Amino acid sequence: MKPIKILHMYADMLDLYGDSGNMEILQYRCKMRDIPCEIDHYSRTSEVPDFSRYDLIYLGGGADLEQQILSTDLPRCSDGLKKAYADGVFFLMICGGYQLMGQYYRDADGHDLPGVGLFDYHTIAPNSRRKRCIGNIVVQTEITGEPLDIIGFENHGGQTSGVTSPFGRVRCGNGNCFQSDIEGYCEKNVIATYLHGPLLAKNPKLADYILEYCLRRHEDAPAFLAPLDDTLENECREVMLERLLKK
Amino acid sequence: MKRFYILLGKLIVKVLQLLGKNAGNLPGGILWTLTRHKCVSLFDVRCPIIAVTGTNGKTSVTNYVTKLFSQDGVKIITNKAGNNLDTGICSLLLQHCNWKGQVDADYLILETDESHVPVVYSQLKLETLVVLNFFRDQLDRNGEVETLILKINAFCKTFTGNLILNGDDPNTARLGQANPENKNVKYFHVEPYANATAELFEAGEGRFCPFCGSALKYDYYQYSHIGKFACPECGYGTHTPYLTASDIDLQKPSFRIGENTYTPALNSIYHVYNMTAVAAVARLYNIDNGILADAVSNYTVKNGRMEAFTLGENPAVLNLAKNPVGANMTLRVMNEMPGEKELLFVLNDNIADGLDVSWIWDINFSVFERVTRVVTSGTRAHDIAVRIKCSGYDASRIIVRPQLDEAVEEFNRTAGQKFVIANYTAVQPTRSALKRYIEKHGGAANEAD
Repeated sequence: MKPIKILHMYADMLDLYGDSGNMEILQYRCKMRDIPCEIDHYSRTSEVPDFSRYDLIYLGGGADLEQQILSTDLPRCSDGLKKAYADGVFFLMICGGYQLMGQYYRDADGHDLPGVGLFDYHTIAPNSRRKRCIGNIVVQTEITGEPLDIIGFENHGGQTSGVTSPFGRVRCGNGNCFQSDIEGYCEKNVIATYLHGPLLAKNPKLADYILEYCLRRHEDAPAFLAPLDDTLENECREVMLERLLKK
Repeated sequence: MKRFYILLGKLIVKVLQLLGKNAGNLPGGILWTLTRHKCVSLFDVRCPIIAVTGTNGKTSVTNYVTKLFSQDGVKIITNKAGNNLDTGICSLLLQHCNWKGQVDADYLILETDESHVPVVYSQLKLETLVVLNFFRDQLDRNGEVETLILKINAFCKTFTGNLILNGDDPNTARLGQANPENKNVKYFHVEPYANATAELFEAGEGRFCPFCGSALKYDYYQYSHIGKFACPECGYGTHTPYLTASDIDLQKPSFRIGENTYTPALNSIYHVYNMTAVAAVARLYNIDNGILADAVSNYTVKNGRMEAFTLGENPAVLNLAKNPVGANMTLRVMNEMPGEKELLFVLNDNIADGLDVSWIWDINFSVFERVTRVVTSGTRAHDIAVRIKCSGYDASRIIVRPQLDEAVEEFNRTAGQKFVIANYTAVQPTRSALKRYIEKHGGAANEAD
């Protein structure tokens, strides 16, 4: 079987809040099913790769300083990323990664960092660094074809607007803006979200949706993913949903 | 008005004490509101103030520094138990001042929360600030590490007192350039120990030069992003150390500063850094080497920091780990223990812990060696169980018991060496649960100070 190929961009810079855990979870779920999975890294010192060779491109979240530094590197990737998106590569982006793929990010001092411009949304940080959307969050997504509660933790100053197709409806927490009804951005091959936790830790079905999408790009792929024993994950979900939704 | 507030505060302290309640934060909290957040400015402090801050090691270093100064006839006021916000420090001073707010002491030695350094020491004159390190910790409370560093950096721009900095932490050493006029900046440095690595081993902050943005080059990493670093572009990191610890041997354990050899009570590199910071304070204040050597070898802080218990027949060690760096250090210590062992991990997500438990994914559990079983507990018992499972550990050997007493019972169902890790608000309840187990089943607890 050909391996699922993942490109983890800026792992050395966008790695706040345990976001690299998403890579560990995808690798774990592949390994348990004997599906080969390879993760490559891209950082500022790397040569620009052929992004379309990958099944999944992943970006985590970062602090303001790191986001500033890499906004100067992103332009050289811009064309390649746009082509990969058109070629159907899956894009998974968390927090800072989510913001940087939009039109622009205006930081708390009013400086604009241009985004890759892959999507139409933009993000504006409030003037005060104290104003942040922080807390446990539950959003209901339909990306898998049926309503699925996604549990995570949001911690962002930036307020994102101009989202045409959100990742999900907010059931508890803030979402794209303070007290927003919607969270993130998605298409069939895109998940952009503020959810840390990391995102896939308590949401194994979402992890499998992404893996299935990646596998379907391969001709020799199995028709479906073998089920895994997710007892611990499901118990964890039950406890958190009970706590967060039945207040 | 000031005297009224002082009297009111003292009254509240007395009432709380009569009621048998802890007066650690509430009196200061009330005065904080009444004084429009300037509660520490009520006090008249004439003696030197030494403050210790940083993500990890504040409580320990504060206790050791206090030990250095504790001679007959010297009156020290210190927040040993770690009430380290402005409100906690206000509550502490209320108990040691007269009705005019004058504080009677020879030294104030204060553990101070990182985010509260500018708050407290814009109101009280600080003589010496010791900064140990900056790691990601309780991100949802402190905001990003960078925001926190910028706050302290702003304070350091006008600070002219002694600034003792960890010269091996790029996040900390940068504070030395905040005020070019300050001639009292002193860096401490630790030479590589046996397990120092050429590559970054655990999640770290600050891989980039804060001054020019270039990737920092390291000769070696001791743990996380602590090590011998320098910026190849602008030369940041080439400071001369005020004091250097060398010949680090964690087997004995021992280390050397100049001509003197020290034998610390704990055998982690993390502890060696803390002791080097303590030694820097000792040098600055001309404290006799005998006193320093005695404190380093014989003094331990017994508050869930590598604290020993016997649970029934089972030897056990409890250690606090409130962030990935602390947890990774603890796992290293556990792994270096010979033979098989079992782990109890207690994870809470109370406000003081930071509500976000994502940090557990920055703990490197793949290093587990000879760990035969894991029990998890606390308000986020399930989260830590999932985390450990996804590192590749056999799920059938993970047992989830959110209720602490049940977890401790389950943990001791089998015989052998035990290791307990608890995060911030979990430490004291875990100690209590271990002691309840000992009352019921025998064993021994190491009584705290």
